[in-house]
Amino acid sequence: MSKKRTKRYWKSLKERDAAPDVLNARADEFPEGGPRQFRRRDFLKATGFTLGVAFATGCSRAPVQRAIPLLSQSEEIVPGRSLFYASTCAGCSAGCGLLAKVRDGRPIKLEGNPQHPVSRGGLCATGQANILGLYDSQRLQHPLKDGKKSSWAEIDHEIQSELANVRRDHGAVRFLSGTITSPTTRAEIREFLAGFPEAHHVVYDPLSNSALLDAHEQTHGVRVLPRFHFDKAEVIVSFDADFLGTWISPVGYTADYRAGRDLDAKRVSYHVQFEPRMSVTGSKADRRLAVAPGEMGLLLTHLAQRVARKVGAPFVSPELEASSVDSVFLEELADRLCRARGRSLILCGTNDLQQQLLSNYLNHILGNYGSTLDIDKPSLQAQGSDKELGELLAELQDGKVKALFVYGANPAFDLPGGDGLAGALRKVPLLVSFAQRVDETAALARYVLPEQHYLESWNDAEPVSGLVSVSQPTIHPLGDARSLVESIATWNGKPKPAYDLVREHWKAEVFPRQKKESNFDAFWDRAVHDGVAEVESLPIKTREFNTQLVRPILKAQRPETGAFALVLYPTVAMLDGRNAYNPWLHELPDPITKVTWDNYASISPTAAQRLGVVDGDVVRLENDGGSPEAFELPVCIQPGQQDQVIAVALGYGSKLSARFAKVGPQWLDAIISVGDKGVVGLNAAPLLRLSDGVLQYDSAQVKVSRTGRQRELASTQTHNTLTVPKKLTPPGSGARSVVQETTLAAYLKDPHAGVEDHEEKEDLWPTDHPYPGPRWGMVIDQNACTGCSSCVIACQVENNIPVVGRDEIRRNREMHWLRIDRYYSEAESGQIEVAYEPLMCQQCENAPCETVCPVLATVHSEDGLNQQVYNRCIGTRYCANNCPYKGRRFNWFNYAHDDQLQNLVLNPDVAVRSRGVMEKCTFCVQRIQEAKIEAKRRGERVSDGAVQTACQQSCPAQAIYFGDLNDPNSQVSKMMANPRRYRVLEELNVRPAVGYLTIVRNCSQEGKEESKEEHHG
Amino acid sequence: MAEAAIALRPPLIAGDKSIAQVTHDVCAPMEARPTALWWVALLISSSFLLLGAAAIAYQISVGVGTWGLNRTVGWAFDITNFVFWIGIGHAGTLISAILFLFRQRWRTSVNRAAEAMTIFAVMCAGIFPVIHTGRPWFAYWMFPYPNTRGSLWINFRSPLVWDFFAISTYFTVSAMFWFIGMLPDLATIRDRATAKWRRKLAGLMSLGWNGSYRAWQRYEVVYLMLAGLGTPLVISVHTIVSWDFATAVLPGWHATIFPPYFVAGAIFSGMAMVLTLMIIARKLMRLEDYITLRHIDRMCKLVITTSGIVGLSYGTEFFTALYSGSSYEQFVFLNRALGPLFWGYWTMVGCNVFIPQLLWFRRVRAYVPAVFLICILVNVGMWFERFIIIVTSLSRDFIPANWFHYAPTRVEVATLLGSFGLFFTLFLLFCRFIPVIAVAEVKGVLKYGKPQLESAHE
Amino acid sequence: MSAPRPKPSGLLQYLGSPFVTLVLVTALAFSLMILVPKFNAYALPGNQLGYEPTQPVAFSHRLHAGELQVQCLYCHSGAEKSRHGGIPAANVCMNCHRFVAAPLGAIHAEDDLAKKEKREPRRVVSPEIQKIYDALALNEKMQPDPAKPTAPITWVKVHNLPDFVYFDHRPHVNAGVACQKCHGPVETMERVRQVEDLSMGWCVNCHRGVDRAGLDGNGNFTSAPAPAAQGPVPVTHRVNASIDCSTCHY
Repeated sequence: MSKKRTKRYWKSLKERDAAPDVLNARADEFPEGGPRQFRRRDFLKATGFTLGVAFATGCSRAPVQRAIPLLSQSEEIVPGRSLFYASTCAGCSAGCGLLAKVRDGRPIKLEGNPQHPVSRGGLCATGQANILGLYDSQRLQHPLKDGKKSSWAEIDHEIQSELANVRRDHGAVRFLSGTITSPTTRAEIREFLAGFPEAHHVVYDPLSNSALLDAHEQTHGVRVLPRFHFDKAEVIVSFDADFLGTWISPVGYTADYRAGRDLDAKRVSYHVQFEPRMSVTGSKADRRLAVAPGEMGLLLTHLAQRVARKVGAPFVSPELEASSVDSVFLEELADRLCRARGRSLILCGTNDLQQQLLSNYLNHILGNYGSTLDIDKPSLQAQGSDKELGELLAELQDGKVKALFVYGANPAFDLPGGDGLAGALRKVPLLVSFAQRVDETAALARYVLPEQHYLESWNDAEPVSGLVSVSQPTIHPLGDARSLVESIATWNGKPKPAYDLVREHWKAEVFPRQKKESNFDAFWDRAVHDGVAEVESLPIKTREFNTQLVRPILKAQRPETGAFALVLYPTVAMLDGRNAYNPWLHELPDPITKVTWDNYASISPTAAQRLGVVDGDVVRLENDGGSPEAFELPVCIQPGQQDQVIAVALGYGSKLSARFAKVGPQWLDAIISVGDKGVVGLNAAPLLRLSDGVLQYDSAQVKVSRTGRQRELASTQTHNTLTVPKKLTPPGSGARSVVQETTLAAYLKDPHAGVEDHEEKEDLWPTDHPYPGPRWGMVIDQNACTGCSSCVIACQVENNIPVVGRDEIRRNREMHWLRIDRYYSEAESGQIEVAYEPLMCQQCENAPCETVCPVLATVHSEDGLNQQVYNRCIGTRYCANNCPYKGRRFNWFNYAHDDQLQNLVLNPDVAVRSRGVMEKCTFCVQRIQEAKIEAKRRGERVSDGAVQTACQQSCPAQAIYFGDLNDPNSQVSKMMANPRRYRVLEELNVRPAVGYLTIVRNCSQEGKEESKEEHHG
Repeated sequence: MAEAAIALRPPLIAGDKSIAQVTHDVCAPMEARPTALWWVALLISSSFLLLGAAAIAYQISVGVGTWGLNRTVGWAFDITNFVFWIGIGHAGTLISAILFLFRQRWRTSVNRAAEAMTIFAVMCAGIFPVIHTGRPWFAYWMFPYPNTRGSLWINFRSPLVWDFFAISTYFTVSAMFWFIGMLPDLATIRDRATAKWRRKLAGLMSLGWNGSYRAWQRYEVVYLMLAGLGTPLVISVHTIVSWDFATAVLPGWHATIFPPYFVAGAIFSGMAMVLTLMIIARKLMRLEDYITLRHIDRMCKLVITTSGIVGLSYGTEFFTALYSGSSYEQFVFLNRALGPLFWGYWTMVGCNVFIPQLLWFRRVRAYVPAVFLICILVNVGMWFERFIIIVTSLSRDFIPANWFHYAPTRVEVATLLGSFGLFFTLFLLFCRFIPVIAVAEVKGVLKYGKPQLESAHE
Repeated sequence: MSAPRPKPSGLLQYLGSPFVTLVLVTALAFSLMILVPKFNAYALPGNQLGYEPTQPVAFSHRLHAGELQVQCLYCHSGAEKSRHGGIPAANVCMNCHRFVAAPLGAIHAEDDLAKKEKREPRRVVSPEIQKIYDALALNEKMQPDPAKPTAPITWVKVHNLPDFVYFDHRPHVNAGVACQKCHGPVETMERVRQVEDLSMGWCVNCHRGVDRAGLDGNGNFTSAPAPAAQGPVPVTHRVNASIDCSTCHY
């Protein structure tokens, strides 16, 4: 360092421009004043000074905080106030309506839009979690060319010139996408492809319903997906259609289904479910039969034959093989169906043409078309055609395709092709991928065009013919992304912003389809405000029902002995894998198995016994076709599953989940959240089959063998029972009354049926809590709850609940304030029944937690909340120990909030809890406060429904009621008075403010209370 | 008559010592160089101490998550160790206070060490309530002090607050008791000391004790008063600790039997620990003449009595559960005996109820190694008692969906070992620098000089 | 033992006596009892009492709120509608400063000077007000100048609360609490200074009082419709400032 520095550095312009002597002066801060020695006085001075400084700094001020106001502030935007914008969810093609809560210029929460006819106020877990995608720091920020950063101008130019070549030599242009419900986008694509001699648009759904549409093409002459009306159906027979969980439009279906099961109106539908594995829908069924996938067709035939005989329709099914389901029941079911002609509904979720034809036939002869199935106003939520997909894949294989555009799809990941397909895709000269992240397909593409998040751009959707809904931007776009319509418009030679494109399309196409409004601007404004516009549906010409093609299926294909039938299914969280980037959804416990952060091979207890495996034993699955690599997955034992079925979830093992290697606290004994392959779970798509023109999810057979290895599954609810283990059962004690249920028959006799103890007790003691104002309370209708878990995510988003990672879950340290307990029980019929119990802090009046906290960090509020003061808590965990419901969560570590972009999703109205602090549900107290303050501002009392908790708002089944128990007219008070109401652990006299309504099963056999013994989980 | 009495009862101190001899015997080890054995012991215990310190440092810097706890089991090793050490701490005050009031003269040769043990044990115990919190740096909020929060006080209904007061009081009184009792001996050290620093230090500590009649007279009064103060504390401390559990709603915790049950258990474990230490000490410091088989015999009798009470409590717990008619309560106890942690339960019963029965036999009581082994086992058993009470009740309570198991992590085990390290390190230092036996008091019980007194008092 | 000390005379001789010690100890105890609760009057760590940072624009509340009598809520309109009182956007300033560019005196001076020099008076813009124009990138004709970049003014926050405290202006302003009650005599301040320590005790003690008495002393909700003549005061018309923890902490 001896060399003299000539270069000059400065900290600020002021310093730079300051006179040099100032700088020099600064250079020698302690000028040498000749020789001087350190005297006693100096010492004292120094000491004094140091002490002074010590004190001064000890009382130092907080760091300087800045406040930057807007330059020019419009009327509606007030810092600190939230605005709600109606929009449309693009989480899947169901197109549910949502309201985006925008606070200080950024959306922080998505809520269901109660005015939207499709979703009717609910929003599913994935829909809620989508908002995290907006603030995903790994989202593409700019276009890529050959994996390198590029500019739009350059890319547009190159693509256009290449397209010109393709057009010149009549090369094949293909546009591959998932179902697109946006009329504008479809029109743009149509126009774009029209510019080429040899081009067309191939639509496929990774979770395909192609056969369902094809069947209608054959029977009705139009390739449409009927709109189902579960609310009109009195008897619902579903053949492996998980319509409450993952099938087509679960939110809307759940709302309808719940409407059709109205106990107060005494009209409750009867729901029968045939399925190989335990699905969310099956768990709610009144009668559920576990049948092998190979037998579905046979059962359909059996039912068709019986019904046909009864209604006198010609249906010949000679030498029909006997089914595993006992014929008495089928007979009875057929009767019920005939009694409910025109008010019944047959659903078939399998992607098999013959079976779909049979179910159409059943619906036809039962006269359900036009009542419970609507094909004049059909649903457009699924449009995929596996046939066209097959053709495209063939073309790709022999390199016919010259230009391929992939949008809203990830074929390299979710199609069976594997490396072969990847190679074929690489062969395409011009492969363009519109994607938000570099997924498996985008990684192969030459051009990757970052697609905008739907909360950043204008768009529209027509989920059901005649219901056009708008989606509007709620934030200034992050990064240099561009929406599909803009890109295509540019290539079509008339670049325009998406807003103009959508608006113009509406003016030209949508506006004319209605008569009510004569002025387009008014029409448009209302549509944008409401988020949806109802117009005339597109005309459809249906043919007379054609029975020719309906053929009986006479035999069941059963796997040969020793082998298993493999069933590939989507989970509520991952669907087809589009959400693999989303930590919230990875940590969301599966509604049935309660497992997080993994997919697994679920098998029935019997099969497990036969194989000699227990939960977490890793097994190898060998495809009879010989799967590309041996699939090794941990076992998850699933009661209620068919014994010859092994079920594996799709959508896992995506490269998008590689990012989770570091999620969760890093410490001495921490185990990373990803598997050995560096990703979460294993991609099961290679086990799919694309044969006879459809994607087959349940046709494969696998041999299963033990590997001897173990992988503990991170489950939030371990296997435990309501009747405690036999040898530990105290004499004469039955099932614990934590869940209380009854049957419809019993309920109709006595509405109190199943409720252990419905008398209100007199209290000898004066009440500690007078509640002068409101008293907040909640009622949860367990009969309506489907376990779909959207409330769990809603709570997580609203209350800034951290993601803790697989290892912490494994250690039983999940943070979800609201959990859904799941209990199995075995009915006399031997059928496995499921009971869901959403459980959060019960806001007890005699709260055990409150008395034990040494520092008063948890105390009762005058409106009945059990407050938790995070900044006062020192973390003795005494409160949690003393909580009978275990509704409290502890911050064992400092759970990471270090992704600055992702932190934008945090709710500014809720404190982010630090390490060592107890936290829990407080009925969304921030919302209560807001409502109270607003009410006071207007000099009113808080009106019923002014406060909606996050869980309540998002619930598709409206199973949660919240409000003021002191107001006799509030909905929640009425519900508290419902004869079905009970409280969990009422006998402890902790007086919870949360009530539950019994489960009422619409099943024939009487006195199920006795058979309620075997509750096990 | 008196002669006969003397003939019947063997003297409390063997090998009839002269007063000077007593002084010499007790002070010799302090003035001589420490033995190799002592060095080895110190090395081992202090290395454990360091291990524990490291573990705690890591836990505080990273989070309580480094323990095996989860949302179902919020307390385990931490509070187990706390209750265990508090229990150990009981014998000291018992011996020095209660036995003193009951004129149990044999206590004189063990009370010093017992009190020392008490203080060290309470020190060990005191660590856990602090480090078990999520934010130890705010643990002082448990203490009521005027503040700028308007003022925000503490929750006087919380048993943890009661604990705080009970333990601090107990510690203060025991410490004073110990120190006051030590004054004459400190003076002795001062007068015998050859090294200057030792004389200065001992002089300072002995508060200018001059052995005058007045000094002695006041000393006796103060000592008596402190004994009076200490006695209720012996009962109160563990009673209050037991309320941590008794006031909770958890089945298996919510029991009115807990206070007597815990106090008995505490005395039980305390006695066992005293015996363990005395047996070590008399070997290490060659004090067989002062801590005679007779002392050991007496303490063994105390051990077996308390063991009986503890055993009875175990039985009563089951009865109350059965009688309560609450299926939760009944389940908890079946679960303790037959559930996943059955081995822990039976270790506890075995060590605390069955094994001590051996002490009925005079031969066993007279055979020191056997006594030593039994006492070790009793302490193991008592540790498991607390572990079982805490963990089994938590891990399987009302709602089965919450049930979860618990397994300690390395950090927790290290912390436990560390607390033992601290305890023994302190005790070894004590043996080295302070007369292990209350010289002055022992002189009081020597046969030397006053036969009739002896006979009158025993 | 050295030679015996001479016996202290006068008052000194009592010094050693236990009586004096007793007196001193009690005195100490009492003074502590009085002093300790007053701790918040002293700058404990985190206490920002008296904080008076320099602001990017030398805006004078004395001039605007005091001399010119501009209502607080004219600029800080958020206080009624939102959690944040809010710092006015530059366009709010422009409502007046579109026309007011400099102190009257300066303008007159310029006019006189112009007369003397026989020329058109130049437009006078005070350097501080110029900062607003710069922020909005306005040219002399008060028109946005596309060439210049807009840059919002970065003010320094004076009244800061910890992140775990959720203070909301609405209930206070709407209940008729005068701004000065918390912010002090702002209309007399050239530069805003923190005059209250904003400690929890300070908040809670006010809430306690209001909870009992109400703002106007008889439990009435001052700025809202007056309560019904007979019968108990309806909940919404009582002020009842809550002292629940969850009023501020959640």
